[in-house]
Amino acid sequence: MTTRRFIVEPRGLASPQLKLFVPVASVLAAMAVGAVFLLVTGVNPLTVYAQMYDAAFGSARGFSETLISATPLILTGVAAAIAFKMLVWNIGGEGQFLMGAVFAAGIAIWLGDGAPAALALPAVVLAGGLGGAVWAAVAAVPRVYLGTNEIITTLMLNFIALNFVNFLIFGSNSPWRDPAVTTFPSGRPIPDAARMPDFFNRLDIGIFIAIGMAVAAWYLMEKTSWGFAVRIVGDSSSTARYAGVGVAQKILGVFLLSGAAAGFAGGLFVSGPVGALDPRSLDLGLGFTGIIVAALARLNLIAVIPVAILMGALNNSGPSLQAIGVPTATVTMLQGAILIFAVAGEFFIRNRLRRPERSSSSNPEEVVAA
Amino acid sequence: MTIGSPDTLAVELVDVDKAFYGVKANDRVNFQLARGEIHALLGENGAGKSTLCSILAGLYRPDAGEMFLEGRAVTFKSPKDALAAGIGMVYQHFRLVPNLTVAENFALGYPDVGFRLEEKELYRAAEELGERYGLPVDPSARIWQLSVGEQQRVEILKLLYRNAKVLILDEPTAVLTPQESTALFATMRQMAAEGRSVIFVSHKLHEVKEVSDQVTVLRDGKVVAGVATKDAEPADLARMMVGRDLVLPTRDPQTEFGPIMLSVDGLRVQDDRGLEAVSGVSFDVRAGEIVGVAGVSGNGQRELAYGLFGLRALTSGTVTIDGVDITEASVLEHIESGFAYIPQARLEMGLAPGMTTEDNLALKAFWHAPYSKGRRLVASAFRDEGTRQIEQYDIRGVRPGLPIRLLSGGNLQKALVAREVELKSKILIARSPTRGLDVGATEVVRNLILAERSRGIGVLLISEDLDELLALSDRILVLYEGEVVGEMPCEEATAERLGLLMAGQREIVSP
Repeated sequence: MTTRRFIVEPRGLASPQLKLFVPVASVLAAMAVGAVFLLVTGVNPLTVYAQMYDAAFGSARGFSETLISATPLILTGVAAAIAFKMLVWNIGGEGQFLMGAVFAAGIAIWLGDGAPAALALPAVVLAGGLGGAVWAAVAAVPRVYLGTNEIITTLMLNFIALNFVNFLIFGSNSPWRDPAVTTFPSGRPIPDAARMPDFFNRLDIGIFIAIGMAVAAWYLMEKTSWGFAVRIVGDSSSTARYAGVGVAQKILGVFLLSGAAAGFAGGLFVSGPVGALDPRSLDLGLGFTGIIVAALARLNLIAVIPVAILMGALNNSGPSLQAIGVPTATVTMLQGAILIFAVAGEFFIRNRLRRPERSSSSNPEEVVAA
Repeated sequence: MTIGSPDTLAVELVDVDKAFYGVKANDRVNFQLARGEIHALLGENGAGKSTLCSILAGLYRPDAGEMFLEGRAVTFKSPKDALAAGIGMVYQHFRLVPNLTVAENFALGYPDVGFRLEEKELYRAAEELGERYGLPVDPSARIWQLSVGEQQRVEILKLLYRNAKVLILDEPTAVLTPQESTALFATMRQMAAEGRSVIFVSHKLHEVKEVSDQVTVLRDGKVVAGVATKDAEPADLARMMVGRDLVLPTRDPQTEFGPIMLSVDGLRVQDDRGLEAVSGVSFDVRAGEIVGVAGVSGNGQRELAYGLFGLRALTSGTVTIDGVDITEASVLEHIESGFAYIPQARLEMGLAPGMTTEDNLALKAFWHAPYSKGRRLVASAFRDEGTRQIEQYDIRGVRPGLPIRLLSGGNLQKALVAREVELKSKILIARSPTRGLDVGATEVVRNLILAERSRGIGVLLISEDLDELLALSDRILVLYEGEVVGEMPCEEATAERLGLLMAGQREIVSP
């Protein structure tokens, strides 16, 4: 009676292998699509991909640069994952990252050259988190108490944050601006005591702080009673209310935590590789890339770490492409394609395609006890 | 299999299969519906009644099998096709637009409505049809202003307006008072007398016996019997439906109760729109007593439960539990002071659908030992307590990591009731605790509630199912438009007496 080729039906439970396979396949599919574009422009995609691999992983120096690129992405990825899990659509990681950078650079400059590293380093990290949380609060408080749409508010706050940073450096004689350089406005270098110590080439200890924070965020969400309450709210806010969980307070908490994570990223970035509140070095879309990281990691806070390293590798390999005459934007295109395939892949994690059969097989995987 | 003569058969299904998730909801179902016949579909929840109806109404396409309409093979791609062919369905959850008027709902999806809406014509048709079939309704009223019973009339009128020859009514009496049900049966007979066919889905045997001409019994997706109603004994039908002899548990009568566990005085609560839904309700529940609250859906039951549990602020009134005033308490404080609550819509409120069964069993107790040590969760406690409760309460279908929403309705409810029972509360509020459950799960849930009564706590049973109220309650209150309009010991209660009170007729108290 039916003539359809395939039937789409929801899966009961996706296997761990499938959950791993889909992100990997998303990356491969994105590379395949990228290959088509590269072929059209007349370059051999294999050459390009080999070049990218070589730049990102081919040498100890290259790999350390990859990890430098990955450090902020781990935290912006955590920021997006922690919020999206709770259906809080904080896409303001970019702005919270920038405000974290503003706060971190600010405290470092305020403390000045005299402060010991033991004081300056924690101060810089915490100020970054505070900056991100404060910027998130601007969207979070109206969301929780007035029901405003956080997608719109967080998105718009990104532009305000970027223009605020531009204003501090280009538009004013703020303490963040370097008075010594008069040719082109740039950020004032922060004192050495507030710079994350390097331990391998340019790689600084920020990578360990970022990984540690991702693990801490995972522990908080998965292993504590607070995290359990948060997961209930994320699953069903009406059931959470019924179970006596304070819903508004949990959403607010997660929103601020998400902002803090992005802010930590900003703090680590200015006190690590950049060393100043410099708009040209900060406006890389690291907050937005965190959304791709979170999606590809399927909002798993531990998976965010390897995915961020992969994205860091892509970012790191971009400039090397110019040497072989391929635009750096290839990397942006690949990242976009990966996001599209990762989101499309979710469909196959939630659903299965099945050929209709006369007598449908009772696959034990899909039988739901009556 | 011969194809019935077009003179007599309105609809015929031959060897229809339909599976969901690999589970057969309809397994080689054969079904014949004669013209002018009221045909009851009887079966437990999950037996395949709704699936069968949805196939007839064009909502689902069968995996295999054939469908004939007046002898011609047909395939419906959507409910629109089915309606065009003359088959229409009134779903349990009505398909009406609340902000539109009755007449405007008539026009929705009607193929002959022109660019300009001929409202007068629609008004006239609604009134005419309403009069003819005993379904009075104001065509200019907006749907949200109507009672559930009136909305159902609009659904039926909509089908009649489109001249449906086969009308499928999916558990229509579930939302009606006994008197409204009787009126509906008269309408059904009128439609049948005109040569229309009616499929009447129910699991209430006495209704099937009262109104239908023919009965088809479904069990586990298969047709187990097709008989003329007059030849069938209710006990036989019940046995065919369940597959075994079964008597649902009832309370053992008792006259001695303990101290007052729950005391409610002058309770006033508003609904979502800010209108008063509970208007000064007062009652007590004693230890070891089940107090039933009868009423047609939407007469303040929801707001009463929300108000008592702290989910909604009270306009006025006081609530005390075991002598402690909890009027101002938060939901968490209610739980801590001994309140258990079985809500009505399990997956909307009560369970976290995407979390596992083990997590759901811990949903109210995870703040404390054994689930938490300080602020750290104890994974082994979730596992051990989960395993114990899943076994003890016979919750089936659980697999590691499986979201609870994938369990069947009966197992969902067993898990929810298990969690509330495990709270060892002083008061249990249960709202329609067996609604939509099959007989087996109903038995388990009723026994658990009766066990709570025996444990010596107070139970407030808020239900629209009169049979259940009469079977379990020691005392019954009737709620009408937010007020208690009647109160009686169970021994003095009958379905008729309760039905009149539920419909708003005040009793003249004879001294």
